[in-house]
Formats: sequence, structure tokens, C-alpha cells
Amino acid sequence: MKKGRITGFSVLAWVVLVLFSAWTVFPFFWGAITSFKSPGEQYTTAFLPLVQFRPSTYAWQVVLGQAEGERTRQGLRNSVLISSLSSLLVLLLGSFAGYALVRFRFYRWKNKNIASWILSNRMFPPIAVAIPFFLIMRTLRLLDTLLAIIMAHTVYNLPLAVWLMMDFFRELPEEVEEAALIDGCSSFQAFFRIALPLSLPGIVAVYILCFIFSWNEFLFVVTLSYRKTMTMPVIIAGTLTVRGLDFWKVSALSLLAITPPVVLAALASRFLIRGLTLGAIKE
Amino acid sequence: MRKEATKFGFLLPGLLYLMAMAVFPLIWSLTLSLHRWKAATAAPRVFVGIENFLNIFFRDPRFWNSLRFTVLYVAIVVSVELSLGLLLAYILNERIRFRNFFRVLFLLPMAAPPIAVAFTWRMLLNPDAGIVVKILNSLGLNMVRWLTDARLTPFVLMVVDIWEWTPFMFLGLLAAMQSFPVSLYDAAQVDGASRLQIFWFITLPLLLPIMVTLVLLRAIDAFKLFELVFGITGGGPGTSTESLSYYTYTVGFQYFDLGYACALSWVFLVIVLIMANFLLKRLRKEV
Repeated sequence: MKKGRITGFSVLAWVVLVLFSAWTVFPFFWGAITSFKSPGEQYTTAFLPLVQFRPSTYAWQVVLGQAEGERTRQGLRNSVLISSLSSLLVLLLGSFAGYALVRFRFYRWKNKNIASWILSNRMFPPIAVAIPFFLIMRTLRLLDTLLAIIMAHTVYNLPLAVWLMMDFFRELPEEVEEAALIDGCSSFQAFFRIALPLSLPGIVAVYILCFIFSWNEFLFVVTLSYRKTMTMPVIIAGTLTVRGLDFWKVSALSLLAITPPVVLAALASRFLIRGLTLGAIKE
Repeated sequence: MRKEATKFGFLLPGLLYLMAMAVFPLIWSLTLSLHRWKAATAAPRVFVGIENFLNIFFRDPRFWNSLRFTVLYVAIVVSVELSLGLLLAYILNERIRFRNFFRVLFLLPMAAPPIAVAFTWRMLLNPDAGIVVKILNSLGLNMVRWLTDARLTPFVLMVVDIWEWTPFMFLGLLAAMQSFPVSLYDAAQVDGASRLQIFWFITLPLLLPIMVTLVLLRAIDAFKLFELVFGITGGGPGTSTESLSYYTYTVGFQYFDLGYACALSWVFLVIVLIMANFLLKRLRKEV
């Protein structure tokens, strides 16, 4: 374990690292090059663009052009709107509740119990609420609206946001807020002017996490939307026809759907593990 | 100093939202589970007591099939992911260069939309033209039956899950390992302990608590398996890859047998909440 020495073990480490990276990246790589193959070449094993096959923009012309461009752009628009708005709502409700559980004491139901109960909402299977959601939204005449999906994604992400925001608020020194309270600030002012700005990195991280989870969510969207409010994952699922799968089309759409969450995950890579482990691992 | 009433002002908006959008739907679903309500027909909703639950447990082989598949799936993918993740974390717990680059790389499968992952793999595994089949054929392995042979399909799904989630175990365990103080190992090395002994007697016992937490997290998540089934096999061939989520979805949103679907989802919910209870206890401790 010494630095800089080449040992049998460090060679093994690099071999394993390279193999595991190749295994991890290969499906993405294959999807990316397939989206630049013409329909005639989509089933070939050629994998070197320019050398083995001539890159074609056919898939992108179909997916973004006259034929299906309108649908794709609508899907992207819906995905962006739903993810950004529901994450905003999650952050608002979540930072409020998280702050309450860190800075105040609730005597009747202990803070810990409230926090665990909130987190337990993260764990139930989405299909368990999908049927009542469908019925509620039908009753409210909200099926196939952005609002319905935003509401569903908010309840899906809120427990995690509360739980992670609690961590961030706990790390803040309480003295600053107390000084402000003595100077005559109200609790809400102390929250908005001091606690919230000081935990900005945490807020950005939670926003990014919720955005990714909402962007990737499939079950609620597929059960609550039909036409107007389909997001990218549902549009991908819609490419499956009785004739089979058009490789070039599903690749192009997948690339569009994969890129935003992956870029965000790269920006917040430390927090992604923290979020996925519900805060059990703090890097 | 802080007014007592304001604390509810902070907590209640979120709490009420969860009440309205999680507790209320679940309670409604519970009452529906006591009804016969086939929404595809004109038949009215009838109260039937626990008839749906009796049917699930005693007259529904398809439920038992999906439960068996889901449990087998969870058991296998979680153990393989844990073992592989542990092996990788152990080998790579060194001063690796470009650490951040690799961390991002291994996060890719988890950050991508599961349905996009599923369809990409469906393309790779396509029995006629998929690249995986072509590679295996050129190696002389004839495996084209994997999406049509009910004995093989479950394992195909597991491979995709292992591809997607091994990095979760790996990155989680690696982060935990690197938080251990180096002094622990130094003493053992001075005493002449071998690499394997250090791993077995020092690293592994220290890792055990976080391993249990990671396994519970992954098991609960894997139990809800839906997108991979939806995107790759559609539950087939037959019902060989029908997960609990997928079966409930089929009953609810394709047969519109809403009462029965609600009963199924409650059985499902109880199983998951039992597992979640263990996890919650562990996560609380760390707070």
C-alpha cells in the first residue's frame, strides 16, 4: 500500500479497473454509436465511426426533425418542467420540515420518530400509491396534466429531501441564528436570512438529486399521462412497436434522456452516493 | 426565545403534504382492497371483505410465482452485487489516480433513467441482431434462446441489474473503507499480518455495519423491480419474469381489476415495510 511503487497488486488493480470501466461504459458507448448509424447499418457490429461505418444523422433527423421532432421536444419540455418544478416544491417543503426537526423539539412524538416516519415514505413501493393516485387525479380531472405528475414526484422525493436537509442544518452553528433571534429576528427571518443561505451547497445538492430522480421516474408518468404530458422515459418506452425495436431511434432518444441526469450526477457525484444511501454514507 | 407555535409553521406544510399524498392514498387503497371493482366492466363496486386477500393467498398461483421470482431475484442480485462490490473496493482501495474520473464513470449506470437502461440492454441482447449475441456466437456459444426460454430469462434480467447496481455497493464500500484510519493497518503490518489476514480480521469486521445497511437499501430497492421487466421482457416469456410490481401494475392498469390490484399492493407494501423497518432502525442510529 505504499505510494508510487509498482507491485503485482497495483498492476492487478489497474487491470480490474480498466475491465470494470469497459463493462460499465460499453452499453452507453454502443447506444451512442448506434444513434449515428443509418437504418441499414443499425444491426451491424461496426463500432468505429468513420473507420468502419460512415456516421449518419438519419436518427437525429427523424427524432428532432419534421417526423417526430414535435413529440420529442414536447417530451424534453415536459421532463424539464416536471423535474425542475417538483424539485423546487420538494426543496421548499423539505427544507422547512428539516429545519423544524433540527432546531425545535417536538415533545409528543419525538423528533426522531417524526423523521423516521417521514423517511419511511421513501421506501414504500410506488405501485402501491399509483392506483389511488390515478383515481384521485381522475376525480380531480387532472389526468394527463403536468400538475398531477409534479404532485406525484414531489411526494416521491420529499422524504429524502427532509432527511438530507436535516444533515445540512445540523452542521450549521446554532449560535449565529441565536444571535439574530436576540437581535429581534423572527424564527422565519432567521431561517430565510441565515440558515438557508448558509446551507446553500446542501440545497443545490438536494435540488440536483431530486431533479435526477424526478427526471428518471417512470411508473407515475406512465400511469398518469397519455399524450400531452409524456416525459422522455415514457417516449422511449413508446418506441416499442409490434414490428420490434428500431435500434437507431431508441438509441437517439435514450441519449437525449440519459445526458441531462448524467451531467448533473457528474457535477454532484459526492452527493449522489449520499443520496442513494439515504445519508448512510457521507463522503 | 423561539416561539413554540412557529415550529409547527415549519413542520406542518411538509407533513400535511405527506398526509394528503401518501397516507390518504394508502388508506383509500386499503378500503378499495376490500371491494370487488373491475373497472373495465360496468359492474358496480361491491364490498367483499377480505375475499381479495383470500384469493391472493389461496387461489392465485400467479401471485406466488411473482413473489418467488422477486425474492429469488433480490437474493441473487444483492449477493452478487455485494461480493463483486467488495472485491472491487478491496482491490481499488489504493491511491488510484484519476479517482474522481472513475467515480463519475461508475455512477453512470445509476444516474441514467432505468427505462433507458432497460431499452439499451434490450437492444444489446436482441436475439436476432444484438451485439451480445453476435459476440457470443463468434465465440461459439449459441445463446440466442435467452429471451424466449423461461429458464434463462430471469438470469438475463439479473445480469442487467448487476451491471446497473454493482457500482452502488462498490462506491459505498470504498467510501467506508477510506474513512478508516490508516493507523489500524500499520500496527497489523508491523506485526507481520498478511494482506488477507488484515482484510479478514480488520477490514471486514469494520465494514460489517455499513454492509448490512447497504444490503438492506439495495434489497428494498431491488424488491420494487419494475422498469427492467417493463423494458426488457414485459414479464415474459409466460410469467417467468413477472415481478410483484409488474404483476400489480398489470392487474391494475391493464385488467383494471382495481380492488384486487389494491389488495396486491397492500400485501407488497407490508413485505417492503417489514424490510424498511430494519433499515430505518439502522439509519436512525447514525443520526
